[in-house]
Amino acid sequence: MIEEKKISCHDVMQHICENLGTELDSEKCKEIKAHLEICSHCQSYFKSVEVTIDCYRKYNVELPPDAHKRLIDFLGLEE
Amino acid sequence: MKENIKLIEEKELIEKAKKGDKKALSEIVKRYEQTIYNFSFKICRDKNKAEQIMQETFYSMVKSLHQFDHNSKLSTWLYRIVSNHCLMMARKLKSRTFVSFDDDDNLFEEKFTADWSSLPYSNTENEELKSILDDAIQKLAPEYRMVFLLRDVEGLSTEEAAQVTNLSVPALKSRLHRARAFLRKELNEALSK
Repeated sequence: MIEEKKISCHDVMQHICENLGTELDSEKCKEIKAHLEICSHCQSYFKSVEVTIDCYRKYNVELPPDAHKRLIDFLGLEE
Repeated sequence: MKENIKLIEEKELIEKAKKGDKKALSEIVKRYEQTIYNFSFKICRDKNKAEQIMQETFYSMVKSLHQFDHNSKLSTWLYRIVSNHCLMMARKLKSRTFVSFDDDDNLFEEKFTADWSSLPYSNTENEELKSILDDAIQKLAPEYRMVFLLRDVEGLSTEEAAQVTNLSVPALKSRLHRARAFLRKELNEALSK
């Protein structure tokens, strides 16, 4: 009897990085979702990728008023 | 509905600017300067360089606005211009070596276990966290940074990000998954210390 190859945590981690934020309904995605429901290690991995993205989303810089003025002058425009 | 009205208004503004209306041009600059400056900073992680890139981006926009044909959103078109300027700046300053992705399996090896639940990621003023984020992303080649920032941080669709970077969708996805895995791994290691 051929043993059915089960999805591994490595597969799941790779899949998370490839498809995060994409709604997919392939057989593999269903397997991934089923694995995620029972594997706390992969759940943590999934969460940590989301947190990584969130950190970069929240790290913003404001345009200084002087830089705005310099830009308008540089382009020869008026307020 | 609101989005449609905004697009119509923007189209009128662009057409006025194309005819040399300086007020319309100023208005376009005002609408996008914060986005362009922030994006430039996120690529180069340096405020002076970000300002220089922002100026070059809008200068290019003014020079070539007559070629803009409304086939894409103005924002997508501007992302393409600013991305090119960021890459040109990176090539000019080429002094760093970046991580190579010869062996993808390394990206998923777990030597460290960080406590992600204690990460103060909601506090954007946390200097230590900012330094970790800067260090991690600067190890990525600008081409990988670009894809991660456009898709995950700026929220462009996969197709729009592919259009901006001149990549096929599969090539973009390949860079994106490596960038995500690498940054996550770097943060995991930094937070384990």
